[in-house]
Order: sequence, then structure tokens, then C-alpha cells
Amino acid sequence: MKGSSRKEVVLKTNGLSKRFAKRWAVKDLNLEVHRGDVFGFLGPNGAGKSTTIRMILTLLRPTAGSIEIFGKDLHNKRRSVLSRVCGIVEKPDFYLYLSAFKNLDILGSMTRSIRTDEIMEALDAVGLKSRAFEKVKTFSHGMKQRLGIAQALLTKPELIVLDEPTSGLDPQGMKEVRELIKKLSMENEMTIFLSSHLLSEVELVATRMAVINHGELMVQGDVSELLERETTEYSIQASPLDAAIKLIGDLPWAEVVSTENGKIEVHVSPGHSSELNRLLVTHDIDISSFYPHRTLEDFFLKVTEGTSEI
Amino acid sequence: MKLFWLEIYKTFSRWRTYIGFGFIALIVILTEVVMKLSAGEIVNRMMRSPQKDFLIFGNVLNGWFVTAFIMNSLHFHIPFLIALVAGDMVSGEATSGTVRFLLIRPPSRYRIITAKYVATLFYTTGLVIFLGVVCILPGLALFGSGDLIAHHYGKFGIVFIPEAEIPIRMLFAFLAAIWSMTTVASIAFLLSTLVENSIGPIIGTMAVVVVFLVIGNFPFDFFWSLKPYLFTTYMVFWQRFLDDPIPWQEIVRSATILGLHSFGLFFIAFGAYARKDIKS
Repeated sequence: MKGSSRKEVVLKTNGLSKRFAKRWAVKDLNLEVHRGDVFGFLGPNGAGKSTTIRMILTLLRPTAGSIEIFGKDLHNKRRSVLSRVCGIVEKPDFYLYLSAFKNLDILGSMTRSIRTDEIMEALDAVGLKSRAFEKVKTFSHGMKQRLGIAQALLTKPELIVLDEPTSGLDPQGMKEVRELIKKLSMENEMTIFLSSHLLSEVELVATRMAVINHGELMVQGDVSELLERETTEYSIQASPLDAAIKLIGDLPWAEVVSTENGKIEVHVSPGHSSELNRLLVTHDIDISSFYPHRTLEDFFLKVTEGTSEI
Repeated sequence: MKLFWLEIYKTFSRWRTYIGFGFIALIVILTEVVMKLSAGEIVNRMMRSPQKDFLIFGNVLNGWFVTAFIMNSLHFHIPFLIALVAGDMVSGEATSGTVRFLLIRPPSRYRIITAKYVATLFYTTGLVIFLGVVCILPGLALFGSGDLIAHHYGKFGIVFIPEAEIPIRMLFAFLAAIWSMTTVASIAFLLSTLVENSIGPIIGTMAVVVVFLVIGNFPFDFFWSLKPYLFTTYMVFWQRFLDDPIPWQEIVRSATILGLHSFGLFFIAFGAYARKDIKS
């Protein structure tokens, strides 16, 4: 929570729950998203991410609990709240028989009056200005994804909710979307709530995150703090290698696991990775790479340690 | 109002919407041309029976007669064309996935569903008006005007309507047809809010219309007793404007029953959709 505890809470869920027949898809979920956050909402497939997002965007009615956005109850102040929110749920689907321009015009004008130059500006921001008047049925999946982001930007919302925004995109597309998310957060000061099942993706863009599994919150907090707390294994490419191995071997909170192809695999106790990096540098050891081994699977295993289901 | 125009724009941007108009134009004009080419034979058949008792002269096979004839013939086809669009109005958004964009906007589901319903009624009205225009204008151009000989509703016999009275009676008949088709549109619309594909509401609507028509026409006492409770019984009340004298009381009763059906169906759709979880 470091650095964000004083910030305004933009989105808050209180005991949010949703049951389908006898199965709880989301149970007693308490999330807190602060202004300016890029909030990563992580979980494996079927964890309850989309159900939560659908409740936040009023597509599903919660079975229990409540949602507050901008300090207002979503159920009671739906209209005023949603005029400041936008999102994409699952894949972006548009009216295929209409142009990109007309799609944005229709969707945008449901929130407020939209000028032509605002539509073109939104299309320009996602690199689709030249295709503005082409029918969406001619667009690739990546282009539709970008158009989805354009419609989210159009009304200049304060909170954008994105459900798996890079799903189905090629690496270049994923990179573009990630950069766009960063840009929106930094330049436009938008708060972004994005779900993903890819830890690496969240790590690249998010400032805070929450992990959900089987509909229940596992952990929530600053990305760097959480990952630092949980990550123990690093891969280091250093020169001279022998000096690095010796130095690490002398540290009480680090242990060399293996050396392979000029790389050292090191277990580091939580909170010491920066110190290790600094120590290597101050001992005149050149570091070509220093990166953690993090997979969502590992992370889940760690954060759910003690639970038998993972 | 803005939501309504957005719905109208979307509806009339789809080729599916024009199938009904194209079908009507094709079938009506084709019928009129065939009737024109077989005019002698038709008049002979028409007059065989009445000429035994009456001395009939003048333009019998005129544009008004052709219009009444086509309206009688198409009262089963038009519901299908209406269901084609009305049944897709809400479910189409679920099928295409656009419902997820639509319902996360500030306007409430109540307003969105109302705008869609009004757009459905707009299409229904447009289709019936188009039928009227395509029947009457080429009909009068091809066959000219004259008195109308119509079948006496529910009785063996014919009715003669003077030429001067026909335009206003036709206007009322088409307004009544619009009112009847509104009920069909409401059924399709309700089904459209309950499912997430368009085929179900279209087939479902036609199934309801066909089953009710069949039940209402079975010559058994049990089915006859059900007839007053079937909306299809009142659907052809437009024909009563071509009766003599015009049975206003029956017309008002039929219009009220159909209106209550439409309102009830919309009310159910309204309530069901407002509470519906969008999982698609």
C-alpha cells in the first residue's frame, strides 16, 4: 500500500459476492483501487475476474455486497458514476456493419455529445485514424482491440476497466496495448483496472494488484512490494562469474542454486534483491542481466501457500 | 429521444431490415401484374355468384379491390417479416457481443429497452405503411378506381362500399393493421429479451402465431371456446373497416384487447431485461 494509502479511493468493493445456482463465482471480495493506479487484477481462468468486472460495470447484479465508485454507491448512482467510467468486457465486439467512426459515435453519444474531432482524436490515439470510415468487419482482432480502447478513451473517463486487454494479440499488439495503458495512466491521469491471467503482463504495467482465485481474494497491494515479498529466485548474468559466486556464497540471505551457461541461479530472501544488485556492482562485478523467475503459477503457489487447492 | 434515433440508425443500417420491404414490393407488384394480365378471368370468377342476384356494372377489379385482396392474402406473411427484425432487436446485441458495450453506458436498461421497443414499433409501422403504399398506388395506376366489393366479415355475403368512402376506410384499416402487427412485434420483442440468439425469437413468434391461428380455426367446440382468449382472433380486425355498417364496438374491443397484449408483453420484457444478468 506504500505510496497510495493517501490517495483517493476510486473503486471499492465491499463483500462483493456473486452466486450462479449453487456455485459462488465471487465471494466476499474487498478491493480498493486508488486514483492514478494501474490496478492489475490477476487470477487463473475461471477465478472470477470477469464476473467481478461485469459486476463493476453493471452487467451482473451482485448476490451480496456493494460497489462504490468515486465514493458513490454504484447501484444508487449508476448514471452519474458510469458517465465517468468506461471499459471493455472480454473481447471488444462492435457493430460490424458500421464503420469504426460510426461505432464510436453511437457508443460515445450514449454518454454525452461527441464531436467529430473527438472521435478522430481517439482513433488517432490508437492508430486507426486512416481506417476511420471502413466497416469494422474488415478489421483484425488487434484492430478491434485497439478500437475498443479508443471507445474507452472517447468520453475521457476517469476510470477504465479492461478485461484481458491483450488477449488474442500478437507480441507487437500486446506491446502496443501495454504502452497505451501506461501512457493513459501517466499522461491522462486515468485510473486503470485491468484483469489478466499473465503475471508478466501485469508486472510490466501495473502499480498495484490483487490476486483472486476460486472467487476469493488471495492478496492485494503494491506490485513491487508483493513480488519482492514473494520472489526468491533470480537469474544473474555477471562477469567475472567466479567472483560473483563467491560473493553470493558469503551472504547469509542468498544461496547459489546452480550455474549454467554463464548464469547464476540464486535464491534470495525476500527484500534483499536490491541489496544483492548493489553489492555486486560495488564489488566491480559487471551485471549483464538480473531478473526474477516469476510465473503466475509460482506466484499463486506462494501466495496461496497452505491452501490445498493450488 | 437520442437513444431512439441511435436504434433507428442501427436498425436501418442492416440489410436484414430491408428484406421485409423487398419481399413486400416484390410479391405485391408481382400479384398486381398477374392480376392485370388475368383480369378477365378474375372478374368472371368474382362475379359468377353475385351476378345471379345483382346487376353489376362499372370497374369491379379496381385498385381498392386489389389492395383488400392482397391485405387478406398477406396477413400471415407480414408477422414473419416483423418478427425478423423485432426478434433480433435485443438478442442481436447479445449475439454480436455489443450488448456489453451498450449496457455499461450511463443510460439505464429501462431507457435502452424502451428505445429499442419504440424503434421496433417504428419499423412495424413503416412496414405496414409501405405495404399500403405499394398496394394502393400501383393498384390504382394499373386498375383504376371504383366502388369496392368486399366479403362480408363472418357472413356469407358481399358488401358494396362507395368509392368516396374507400380512402378513409382504407386509412383506418391500415391503422388497425399497424395496431395488430404491434402485438406480433411485442411477442418477438419479448422473446428477444429472453434469449441470446435471433433465431429463437423469430421461430418462437411464428410458432405462437401459427399455433394460435390453427387452434382458433379448428372446427371443434373445445377450440371454439378458446378462440376469445387468442389474440389472433382479433388480429384481422382491420377487415371490419371494410364492413357495412362499420361495427365500431367490436373494433374498439379488438383494439383494446390487442393493445393490452402489446402493453403486457412489453411490460414483461421491460421487467425481465432490467434484472437480467448479462453473461454473453
